[in-house]
Amino acid sequence: MKQQTQQEKLKSIGISMLALGFFPLIWFLFQAILFRELTEIISRNLLVVFALIIGSTFVFLLFLGMDKIIKLSPKENRESLEARMFAGPSLFMIALFLFYPAIRTFYISFKDRYSNDFVGFENYRWAFSDPEMLVTIRNQIIWLIFVVFFVLLIGLVVGWLSDRLNKGEAFFKSIVFMPMAISAVGASAIFKFIYEYRPPPLTQIGIINGIRVSVDRLGTQCMNNRIIDGVFNGFDNPNCLKPIGWLQQRDMTNLPFAQNLNPDGFISSILVNLPINTMLLMVIMIWMFTGFAAVVFSAGIKAIPAEIMEAGQIDGASELRVFRSIVIPYIKSTIIVVGTYMVVTVLKAFDIIYVSTRGDLETNLLAVKMLDEFSKYRNFGRSATVAVLIFVCVLPIIVGTAIRERENTQS
Amino acid sequence: MNRNTQKWYDKPVTKIILITIAFTWIFPVFGFVLSSFRPGEAIKRESWWDAIYTGKLWTELTLANYSEIFFADNLDRSFYNSFAVTIPSTIIPITIAAFAAYAFAFMEFRGKEPLFLLVVASMIIPLQMSLIPLVQLFKSGVEVFGLPIIPALDINGTFVATWFAHSGFGLPLATFLLRDFMMSLPRSVIESAKIDGASNMTTFFKLVLPLSVAGIAAFATFQFLWVYNDFLVANVFLGVYKPENLVVTSHVSQLAVGAYGEAWHLRTSGAIISMIVPLTVFFSLQRFFIRGLIGGAVKG
Repeated sequence: MKQQTQQEKLKSIGISMLALGFFPLIWFLFQAILFRELTEIISRNLLVVFALIIGSTFVFLLFLGMDKIIKLSPKENRESLEARMFAGPSLFMIALFLFYPAIRTFYISFKDRYSNDFVGFENYRWAFSDPEMLVTIRNQIIWLIFVVFFVLLIGLVVGWLSDRLNKGEAFFKSIVFMPMAISAVGASAIFKFIYEYRPPPLTQIGIINGIRVSVDRLGTQCMNNRIIDGVFNGFDNPNCLKPIGWLQQRDMTNLPFAQNLNPDGFISSILVNLPINTMLLMVIMIWMFTGFAAVVFSAGIKAIPAEIMEAGQIDGASELRVFRSIVIPYIKSTIIVVGTYMVVTVLKAFDIIYVSTRGDLETNLLAVKMLDEFSKYRNFGRSATVAVLIFVCVLPIIVGTAIRERENTQS
Repeated sequence: MNRNTQKWYDKPVTKIILITIAFTWIFPVFGFVLSSFRPGEAIKRESWWDAIYTGKLWTELTLANYSEIFFADNLDRSFYNSFAVTIPSTIIPITIAAFAAYAFAFMEFRGKEPLFLLVVASMIIPLQMSLIPLVQLFKSGVEVFGLPIIPALDINGTFVATWFAHSGFGLPLATFLLRDFMMSLPRSVIESAKIDGASNMTTFFKLVLPLSVAGIAAFATFQFLWVYNDFLVANVFLGVYKPENLVVTSHVSQLAVGAYGEAWHLRTSGAIISMIVPLTVFFSLQRFFIRGLIGGAVKG
């Protein structure tokens, strides 16, 4: 009798290893290898069809197979096996695709460019001394401060004001929210068209330069290459303003108002050294994410009990006062959540820079630098170091969220 | 009192501020959309606002850019690729996460609480932390102390690499969201089903899954748009150098930089075509998308 339980125990261990270890691994490898082979032998159009079929159905085979294997085990073990079967694949994939790589990235950051020898903190020394890296870190800080601030500010204004509207609220929010649905690549293309610069005799087709060169100064006819009554009006007159390559400007020295500033003064030196291309690129991200903040804030504002708002209004508080003393404290936790989201998003901002300037002209950000070191310069150690820097910046947020989550589950 | 508040609501300042913001937001798109309907020569000869002013715009409108980008420039192929990446990358994490969420919500097993905390914590591991080792894993496998656990796969540059990468990055959020959603389902219904002798599989498929459709839709919309609009993962795991491997975003990015010079008629029309799918999904499923977004406010 005892021996049989021993035997049953062995059997159930075997089955659980088969179901939870061996089978998922086979599933993973089979899918990967099958698809790799298919990629080589069949035509492209057929491959897309196969991709849709295989990709959408194989995951069900995983659970079906595990279920079939588990059915073989003795009944009393089945419940705990099933729980592990339900939760297992998710935990396995998180471990394999997130935790294992994160630890390995940390490890690689202490090795040289080919991951052969340990170099100690050499990569970190590089990260904080290399001039290009220093500019990247500076840009990242500017982005964090300005993008998060403006997204929260404009988001609050839109969320608060659209709530005051009698009609058309959904319409306004949809307009501001729309950029959230399109890709950052598309958004960058849109703004590149606005900032577009062409060397002088050519027509300016970007609207900022277009307005700039059409400004009439001192009675000169400044036209953006327009033909009026058969007469061609260009902007090559020396009295007309010259167009500016906005994304090529790393400071303000080419702008007329900054030319007369004294670069030694504290405030004027900040103004002169303002990296205008970085500022203009931040506009793209603010444009994209303000709608998200507005929609979330608007939901939070709607949840404020009407009595509280009315009480403030009866007391004769001004609108600004109600906003400051009732709305802001009430949706404070929402502001923190959106702020957190924006900090993480800005730290991972990649597409905008990659598409518009490719990180050149002192516009680089950490995420772009990370990929550059990886695929352009093939220096894995440095690339991993930059990734670790991003992670370290996100770490306080992880801890904060975990603490908040624990408080939520306990309360 | 009522009249007093009414006066507030109708303050013209509110409307002026909102209309200004809305105008600022729509304006960048306006010239871009307009230019996508103008011939490439005209875009460069005359700015779009001058074309409106002189009235020439109405005579030159054309759809030729769209047929050129779609058929001559092979954007259609990139479209199919995008779907081959996006749809499995949405289905795989949802399925796996739904099972896990059920386990975390309704089943008892050892280490449930710490494991769930682990899932929550993994939400904010930035994607950048995983890229290098994942590329290496997909190329040459994993060895632990010299023991090969996963053999050399060499799957970088195939769709299957992007499915696994996107599934891994999307899973923590999906598990978290769906577990939250399932916790809000009436517990008594699920328990009575179990008492009636229904197995976990039956309860999951017949009862919990149909009740969780709203939660699943929220995450599905979010993940679909996220993967479709993603450029980084496509860039790393599919590459931008083989034209047959381009997805829509990498194709548009190639248009925006690359060898296309000043081909603004292709850049505009290409970017606009790429936006049609997400905008359609967004406007038809806006409710779900916003819920997914708010839930996923801290996705990694």
